[in-house]
Amino acid sequence: MISAIYNFALTTGANRVIRGARIEHVCGDPTLSPEKDYAFGMRIVTAALETLTVAVPGPTLFDPMASGKEAAHAS
Amino acid sequence: MRLEMGTFPVKDVVFGNATRYDAGRLTVDREAILAAVKQDPRIASAELEVARPGESVRIWPVRDVIEPRVKVEGPGVCYPGICGRDIATVGRGRTHRLAGMGVVEVSSVNWHDAGGDFVETHLDMAGPYAEMYPYQKLINLCLVVEPDRTLNEEVKNYAVHNAALTVSDQLAEAVRSLTPPEREVFELTPVDPSLPRVVYIWCVHSPQAMSGSPSAFCTATYGLTQLTPPWYLHPNEILDGALTGPYRTAFAMSWTVANNPLFLDLYRRHGRDWNFLGVISLRTEWTTQTEKQLMANQTAKLAQQLGAQGAVVTWDAGGNEFIEVVRSIQACERLGIKTVFLTSEDDATDGAPTMLEPLPEADAIVSTSFFKNVTLAVPETPAVARVIGLPTKIVRRGSTIGLHGGVDGVALPASGPLPPPWRYDDHYGFGSLSCIE
Repeated sequence: MISAIYNFALTTGANRVIRGARIEHVCGDPTLSPEKDYAFGMRIVTAALETLTVAVPGPTLFDPMASGKEAAHAS
Repeated sequence: MRLEMGTFPVKDVVFGNATRYDAGRLTVDREAILAAVKQDPRIASAELEVARPGESVRIWPVRDVIEPRVKVEGPGVCYPGICGRDIATVGRGRTHRLAGMGVVEVSSVNWHDAGGDFVETHLDMAGPYAEMYPYQKLINLCLVVEPDRTLNEEVKNYAVHNAALTVSDQLAEAVRSLTPPEREVFELTPVDPSLPRVVYIWCVHSPQAMSGSPSAFCTATYGLTQLTPPWYLHPNEILDGALTGPYRTAFAMSWTVANNPLFLDLYRRHGRDWNFLGVISLRTEWTTQTEKQLMANQTAKLAQQLGAQGAVVTWDAGGNEFIEVVRSIQACERLGIKTVFLTSEDDATDGAPTMLEPLPEADAIVSTSFFKNVTLAVPETPAVARVIGLPTKIVRRGSTIGLHGGVDGVALPASGPLPPPWRYDDHYGFGSLSCIE
C-alpha cells in the first residue's frame, strides 16, 4: 500500500507500506517538471512493486526516498 | 487585555424604515441594507428574509451564520482580516453584540471548485431535526445572495461572505452608541497560583490541501485560511471574531465559533476553578506524516512553554486530520500535560475503532456522539411550508432512512421531505448527545 500518512496503513495491518509523497499527490509532485515528476512517480511505484518480492514479518514501511529499501517496522 | 462585552438580546426582528434597536426589538431597514450589499459590483442579487423559531421554514443552502458584533472602543474591527477587513489585533476595549439572532448567508456558491466538498447544510426552524442545532432558537435574518456568475469560485466565496458581513455590520452599528442591557468583563486576571493551569487547544481545518489554494475561503484566523503553524490567541481576540467559520458542518459556523460553550465556560471559570492560559489554535489537514507530527510536537511545546498542566482539545474536521489532533494529545501527555478530548465518533462497522488512530495517551475523551446523521438514525426532515433560498437540493450521500433512502446526487424539492446532511458532528458540545457505553 502506497500512503502519505503511512502510519494508518501500518496500524491497520497492511504488510508492505510504501511512503508516498502527499495526500493530494501520493505518487507525484506537481512542483517538479513533467520529466522529473514522472521519474519521481516511477521511483515510488517501482519501489512498491519490488517490495512484493521481499518477505516481511508483519506491517513494514518502505521509504523510496531513503537510501536503503526498508526504513522501519511498525512496532 | 481587558474586553467589556455588551449584550443586546434580540427578541424580534421586523422590517421598517430605519435600522434601530429598541428594548429587544430590532427593526431592519431592508432597502438600505440591500443597497449597501449591492454596492459591491460582484453581487448580482440579494434579498433579506426573516426565519423565526417554531415556523415551518427551511433555509437552504446555509453557508454561514454570523452573530452581529461591533467594536465600540479599542483597536480594530470585529471579524478582522476576513474579506480584506482591518487586521489590527483585537480583544481590547468594548464590543457590542446582538444576541439571540443570526445573519444567515444563503447562497448556491460552493466552498471551492476542486470537488468533493459541498455545501450541505439546510436548517429548519421547527421539528426534531431543527432541535439538534442551536439555530432554531435564534431569529435568523437570511441574506439570500448570488454573485456575478462569471467570477471564479474563490472570488464568489469572498463576495457572498463579504455581503453577509455587510449585513452583520449594519445591524451591529445600530447598537454602537446604546447602553447595553447586559455587560460582562473578560480579562485574564492574575489568579491564585495554586489553581491548575489550563490551555484550550482549538483545532481548525485549513482548506489549502483540498482546494489547492492557500487563500481558499474557509475557517479563518484574522482572515488567513492557509496551513500555518499553531497560533497562540488571547481569548478576547476570539470574542472579537479573530477566529471565524465557516467549515462544512452546521457546528462549524462563525456563530458557533463565537458562542462555543466549551470556550466560554473555560474563560468564565478562570480564577475560580482553574487558571485559563488562553487558546492554541492548530490548523489541520497537513498532508504528510512528518508535517502532522511536527505540528503536534510544536503544539505541545507551546502548551508547555505557557506553563500548562492541562489541555482541553477540540477539532472541527474529520478523516486524516485526526492524526495531528490525536498526536498533539499524545505529545502533551508525554510532556506531563493532562488532556481531555471532546470529539465525535465514527461508526464501529465490523468492530473498527470509532476513532481513526486510537492512541493510549488519549485516555480522557468526552464523546459528542456519532458524526454521521445516518449512524445517529436521524430521520428525514419533514416537508415545510416555506423555503428561504433555493427551490431544490442536490442530496449528497443521503441517509438510508426514509422515503429517499440511499439517494446520492439526486435533486429533491427543498420544501419536501429531505434526508439530513451527511454530517452532524457537534464539535463544541452544543448538544447533549454522547456515546453508547
